[in-house]
Amino acid sequence: MSTAANEPRAGADPSATETSRVPMAQRKDVIVVKDLAKSFGDNHVLHDVDVTVKEGEVVAIIGPSGAGKSTFLRCLNKLEDVTSGHVVVNGHDLTEKGTDLDTVRQDIGMVFQHFNLFPHMTVLQNVMLAPVQLGRASKEDARRQAEALLERVGLAEKADARPAELSGGQKQRVAIARALAMKPDIMLFDEATSALDPEMVGEVLEVIRDLARQGMTMVLVTHEMGFAREVADRVLFMADGVIKEEGTPAEIFERPRDPRTQDFLSKVL
Amino acid sequence: MRHLLDRQRRAPAVLALVVLLLTLAAPFARAATPAPNPNNKPAEGKHYVVGTDTTFAPFEFRAANGDLVGIDMDLLHAIAQDQGFTVEVRSLGFDAAVQALQSRQVDAVMAGMSITEPRKQVFDFSDAYFDSGVQFAAPKTSSVNSLADLKGKRVAVKTGTAGADYADSVKTQYGFSTVAFGQTADMVNDVSTGNSAAYIDDFPVVAYSIQQGAPMKLIGEKAPAGSYGMAVNKGTDPELIAAFNQGLANIRANGEYDRVLAKYLGEQGTTQRTGFFTLLADSFPTLMKGLALTIAAAALSILFAMVLGVVFGFFKVSGNLALSWLATAYVAIFRGTPVLVQVFFFYFGIPAVTGITLTAFTAGVITLSLNAGAYMTEIVRGGIQGVDRGQMEAARSLGLPYMKAMNKVVLPQAIKIMTPSFINQFIITLKDTSLLAVIGLAELTYMGQQIIARNFRSFEMWLIIGVIYFIVIGLLTIASNKVDKRFNK
Repeated sequence: MSTAANEPRAGADPSATETSRVPMAQRKDVIVVKDLAKSFGDNHVLHDVDVTVKEGEVVAIIGPSGAGKSTFLRCLNKLEDVTSGHVVVNGHDLTEKGTDLDTVRQDIGMVFQHFNLFPHMTVLQNVMLAPVQLGRASKEDARRQAEALLERVGLAEKADARPAELSGGQKQRVAIARALAMKPDIMLFDEATSALDPEMVGEVLEVIRDLARQGMTMVLVTHEMGFAREVADRVLFMADGVIKEEGTPAEIFERPRDPRTQDFLSKVL
Repeated sequence: MRHLLDRQRRAPAVLALVVLLLTLAAPFARAATPAPNPNNKPAEGKHYVVGTDTTFAPFEFRAANGDLVGIDMDLLHAIAQDQGFTVEVRSLGFDAAVQALQSRQVDAVMAGMSITEPRKQVFDFSDAYFDSGVQFAAPKTSSVNSLADLKGKRVAVKTGTAGADYADSVKTQYGFSTVAFGQTADMVNDVSTGNSAAYIDDFPVVAYSIQQGAPMKLIGEKAPAGSYGMAVNKGTDPELIAAFNQGLANIRANGEYDRVLAKYLGEQGTTQRTGFFTLLADSFPTLMKGLALTIAAAALSILFAMVLGVVFGFFKVSGNLALSWLATAYVAIFRGTPVLVQVFFFYFGIPAVTGITLTAFTAGVITLSLNAGAYMTEIVRGGIQGVDRGQMEAARSLGLPYMKAMNKVVLPQAIKIMTPSFINQFIITLKDTSLLAVIGLAELTYMGQQIIARNFRSFEMWLIIGVIYFIVIGLLTIASNKVDKRFNK
């Protein structure tokens, strides 16, 4: 565990939740990953991964392509089958057979690199689908909530548009609203800005930054080093399927100890 | 008798083994004996299904109104009436009728069938009701006037008939070659178009067609072949044979028999060759009857195939190894064999083993459903797999269970991908119904064959039938595209 993570983030919104005022060490663990390994046939993508994420913590995962960052993230809501080890989210061990994945996933929002909006539905229907289908809200309540979420990501006027009519940045903001509609405790971002034109990256980061301020627990796989540094409580550097180094943004970006980290940062910064 | 020659078809190859086996039992077989008393009615009140040929004028053929008529049919009905039994006639084609008899789909066959020794090993025959023969014919305008004129030319014959056997036996002597066809109409067409110089068929058939206005002339002498009888499976229906023989004796005695023969073979005025629109008007009601059956068979097959396609398509993408293997095997079998073989298998093969008889319609719909279902399975699989994996992942990440994610997110997009292929398959299945003519389903193509067998107007008739298919398929395409546009925006 990082030592410097004991204090709340400097940029945390004073109006944010109670949790953000509790020192990190005293907060409860929402994600506990133990001895995680994942292989595709003979290809060992992840091994010996141990990570704990505290409530309200923002963890950024950086590292070279092919390091296993996205695979690791996808293990956290079990979109990938785990080869061995344990992934415990909100106290539910996803690797155990009897665990109801559908229920656990309702509390974990995920945002994908390629948005994965449902093209046959309007923006509003995209956001409303899960709460209505899972009996979380009546159609009316879901609509009101979806409209509020679209307002929050700045897309209220696009409610009746189809995804195909939106720009990349708008699509990704809708995807975030769709994930938030299930009122998740945790948000996973899988290279959420990698498929965007540069001028649209900012609008998406702004929405994520806003979530961080409000104390959302988040794990982000990102190539935006500046953003990781700004918004994360803790940064994990992954390479070759293992976590090579972790620490506060200051520790990783200013005083990297591992030669692989140094090498990587010298190339991207 | 005036009619000389005969139609003696070889027993189908499948019979060979049965014949061999039954030869051993032959000494013990009973001979059917006609009842001596004219008032004896051994089959009174019974009901029989009788198989017959499709296009064998003047023995059996469709009249302009679509009814099955001819010497066989009129004699059969006269005998049934005399003997107080009822019959249901199934017009299947000669080989098909014989196979149907063996697989007990029908009780008897009356189809200008020659009484031969090999056949007697397998079937019980009635008394001969007609003595026949075979004869060559050539176009009226042709320079061929005798068998000697056929030297170096080609003669059309009908597969497995006494005519074919006779032609083979004299072709070296006269120096001609032969080409075999499945149906009289095809054989005559080959001669009409000049591909063959002459054809050979049973004399009454040739005589009847010339009487009906076919521009042909008889060549050479009639060669005697044999006599026609009604057949039942050996030892199965002695009372039907007895009743038939008794009824035949009775109608011969009361003059009905002669009236029937005179009706089809007597001197009559040559039929006038009608104009195209008269032909169209005359044949239209019959063709529409056929079209109704074509559409019914296609609609049911498409419906069942959709259900099969969805079920097996889901099996394929289910990730369950056993289900996916089952679906793969199903597709492999029905995509890997010709539809025609499948039709024969379900119509003749299954009943021969199980004893469950199927009507041509049922067997046809089963075959086309299973066949199209295999293709639709692949369409469904392709459609589902054609939807980006991220769609399923996004839906599951929200906590939607698999079936909900499938129904609400993946399927609506998959159906859009599948629709053009579905429309294509609908059209293929509609066209495939024409293959069901081979098992005697009276659909559009079959009706066309029937009309041509009567009037020999193949160019105009196939043109008319082609246009009818074209219009129906055009309408189906337009309707499908409208539905596609409406639901898959």
